Parts: sequence; C-alpha cells; structure tokens
Amino acid sequence: MAVNGIIEIHNLSFFRGNRAIFKDIDVSIAAGKITAIMGPSGTGKTTLLQLIGGQLQPHCGAVQLFGQNIAQLNRKQLNQLRGRMGVLFQSGALFTDLTVFENVAFPLREHTQLNDQQLHDRVLLKLEAVGLRGARDLRPSHLSGGMARRVALARAVALEPEIILYDEPFAGQDPIAMAVLQRLIKGLNDEMQLTSVLVSHDIAEACAIADRVILLGEGRVLAHDTPEALQTSTDPAVRQFMHGEADGVIPFHFPAPPLAAELLCSNASAADKQGGLL
Amino acid sequence: MINLVVALGEQLLQRLALMGQALLMLVQSLRVLPGKHGLSRLTQQLYVVGVQSLIIMLVSALFIGMVLGLQGYTLLSAYGSEQAVGQMVALTLVRELSPVVAALLFAGRAGSALTAEIGLMKATEQLASLEMFGVDPLHRIVAPRFLAGLICLPILVAIFSLVGIYGGHIVAVDWLGVYSGSYWGNMQQAVDFGEDVINGMIKALVFAFVVSWIALYQGYSCVPTSQGISTATTRTVVYSSLAILGFDFILTALMFGGA
Repeated sequence: MAVNGIIEIHNLSFFRGNRAIFKDIDVSIAAGKITAIMGPSGTGKTTLLQLIGGQLQPHCGAVQLFGQNIAQLNRKQLNQLRGRMGVLFQSGALFTDLTVFENVAFPLREHTQLNDQQLHDRVLLKLEAVGLRGARDLRPSHLSGGMARRVALARAVALEPEIILYDEPFAGQDPIAMAVLQRLIKGLNDEMQLTSVLVSHDIAEACAIADRVILLGEGRVLAHDTPEALQTSTDPAVRQFMHGEADGVIPFHFPAPPLAAELLCSNASAADKQGGLL
Repeated sequence: MINLVVALGEQLLQRLALMGQALLMLVQSLRVLPGKHGLSRLTQQLYVVGVQSLIIMLVSALFIGMVLGLQGYTLLSAYGSEQAVGQMVALTLVRELSPVVAALLFAGRAGSALTAEIGLMKATEQLASLEMFGVDPLHRIVAPRFLAGLICLPILVAIFSLVGIYGGHIVAVDWLGVYSGSYWGNMQQAVDFGEDVINGMIKALVFAFVVSWIALYQGYSCVPTSQGISTATTRTVVYSSLAILGFDFILTALMFGGA
C-alpha cells in the first residue's frame, strides 16, 4: 500500500455507543484518482467520509490529510484545510434561504477577498460547468433533485479544492441525471486534477468512473483494488456485494435466535399470560 | 429499591449532562463577536422572531385587557370601588400577565419555529455543510437567533401591556362607564416604575433568555429525522411553558414576596 497518499488513515477505530463501526482499519487514497468507497448500507461509508472531513473524531488511530493529522489541528488550521476540500452532501445541502447564485458564491465570500466582478465571473463559470448558468436566480426549492446536486457540485468546487468528497452522489437520481453526474465527476477530476472520494452503493455507476474501489464490510476493509479486479474477485463477501446476491456471507437475516425456538417460546409465554389472567 | 435509586441517579446525571451541553452551546455561540454581516443577520432575525410575532401578541393583549376590565369591574363594583379598575388592570398586566402570557405565546409562535428551522437545517445537512465551509454554525445560525429572542420578547411584553391597558379602557370606560380620569389617575398613582414596570421587564428578559435557549438547543441537538424534529418542537413548547411558569413564581417571590 502506498505511503504517500493524499488521504491516509492509520489504525482507525470508531464506535457508536458500544457498536464498533470501524475496527483498526488502514486506508490510503492516492492523489489525482477517483476512489469509490462501497459497501452494504450501514457499514459506515458516510461515517468514514465524516471522519475524513474532520466532522467526527476517531476514537483510535489517525486521519491524515495532506500529511497533517487533522485531530491535532486547531479550529483555524482545520478551517484552512477545509478550504482545500470540497464536500458534496447526499441531500445537496443547499442553503434554502439563498439563491443558486448565492449558494455557489457562499464559500467564495467566506474564504476569499474577491471583488464583486470577480466573484460574479467565478460563480458563473462554475455554474456553466454544471450546465446551470441559466438557473442562477432560482431558489433551491425550485430545483429538481438532480439539478440541486449539480448546484451543490458547483458550490463544492467553487474554491477549486484539491480533494472532493461525494456522499452518495447517485442515490435517488434518474438515469439521465446519473449519467450527467458521472460525466461531471469524471470531468472535474481530470480537468482540475482533483482527488475524488466517492461513497456509493450504485456498483455499475461507481465502477464506471472509479480508478480504485475500497469495499467496506463488518467494520473492516474487505478489499481495495481496481473495479475490474473486484468484479472477478473470488472472495465470497466481495462477490456477493459486487454481484448483488441476496444471501451469502453477508446474511439476509438480522441476527436472531432460531425461528422454531422463538415460536415455541412465544407460545409458551402467551400461555403463561393467559394463565395469569385467569 | 436500590435499582430505583440507581435509575434515578442515572436520569439525574443524564439531565445534568444535557444541561451542560446546552450551556456549552450557548457559550460557544456567543464567544466570538459578530462578523461584518452580523448586524444584517440580526436584523433579519429580529424581523422573523419579533415582527412576525406581533399580530398574535396584539390580538391576545387586547382580549386579555378587555377580560380584565370586565372581571375587575364586576368584582370591584360589588364594593363600590369600580374607579380602581384601571389600577387593577395595569398592575395585573405589568407585573404578571404580560410577561407570562407574552412569553408563553412567544414560545409557541417563535420558539417552535426556531426549533423546527434549525432541526430541518440539521436534517438537510445545511449545518454540516456550513461547518465544512469553515463556518461555525453556532456562531452563524444560533447566535443571531438567540440575540433576536433576547431583544424582541421584552419589547413585545411592553407592547402587550400597553395594548392590554387600552383593552381594559375600552371595556371599563367606553362600555361600562367608569370615569376616564379615575381610570388613568388611579393607575398613575398605583403603578410604580421601579417596583412594577422594571420588575416586569426583568421577568421578560429572563423568560426571553430561557425560551430562546431551550428552542435553539432543542433544534440544534434534535435527532435529524421527521420524528426527531417533531419531538424537539413539542419539547420546546412544553419545557418553555413549564420554565416560564416556574421562573415566574420564583421571580415573583423574590420581587414582591417580602412586601
């Protein structure tokens, strides 16, 4: 595994309550590539993204961005670091009280000293890149889901970040919007020499644009390889996920005592209750 | 028995931890001075929290004043002292009813709206997104709303008293024929600025602090789902109402108890 990744995660463990989301994982994400983080729902894909963004702190281990351990940064340094990183949230997370233009202008107003003319040009260029220059005066409530995500994408790249994190960019999109987003993610990555990290469980869409895939499951990294290699993997858990099989190593049933035992048991307790009533 | 004590202790510790969190939220949001757009953000919230609560305050105040005038007249005329109705209406309003009723209405009208707004911002990841742009949501979202609440409620309470006194005038003087001069004159003599008006305003300020704090904390800490937001909104109204009534008793005891 490369040691000089732009995002380095070492021996990371993270718990929610008593449940371990991650147990001692190591991940290295290479610069300039699109890396897809995939895995069944509830394996902590989004949590991993929040750990990378510094919104959550790991209980053990370290997350390093650009060679800096983010847990050791003070608020100002962290904010500076965040200026070099864009995030596309699952819902888009546009500010509902601002227009499309103002949404894209927001990070620029916060982090740069551009004058009005420069700001205006920069925002229009970003909106042009996602094909929504004409929608600049609309409110987020008037946008379709796909359009909202494209505006959010324009906002995420407004500061020309070096890393961009996508949280489920394809979830709930129609086929056209999906294709548009795929093209945009790939295009932005190549043109701006970004490092893209995308969390998804849409296997076909993610694999089509990803250079590397990290497959998470049961608190571990199940695999970290190219999409092609994963498609032909013989590991049963990897196979099950990549080919969408309902039952296998990752069981269909939520952990429970055997059905027969439970049915007999509940009959017995129902009888008990009746006995108690009589 | 031991289990009961343990459970009680656990509950108490949890409550204390929550209060600590709420205090931390408030301190963190007010720690930094407002930035260059701080004033415009505050003005916007003053409009939402204050001006938009005005109608409900005006209507309620008018009716409460009218009821007071009517009840006061019936009660006092039995003793032949219906001329004192002005003083009764004014003292009741300024000392008790204006701060308490206005604060209760404020919790229902503005407090619940604040909780729902911030809860929704959380659910739609707007707060997280602010954070990722290096903007502290406590400073940007919570602080102006808190200050707006703190400024608006005392003003609304003053307006409430004013309108209520006119409501009493409408019933007692214009309708039931109490002499206008004695309505105002007795009021002027009985109401003391320091004792009554200032104490009423102190109550208003305390209620404003409590209601805004509860509303913002409930929104900020809610579970970001539709059920979570609905629970938080309900809690805002229930906790605020209880806190208002509880604090009102304590404050009244402190202010007027000795006299």
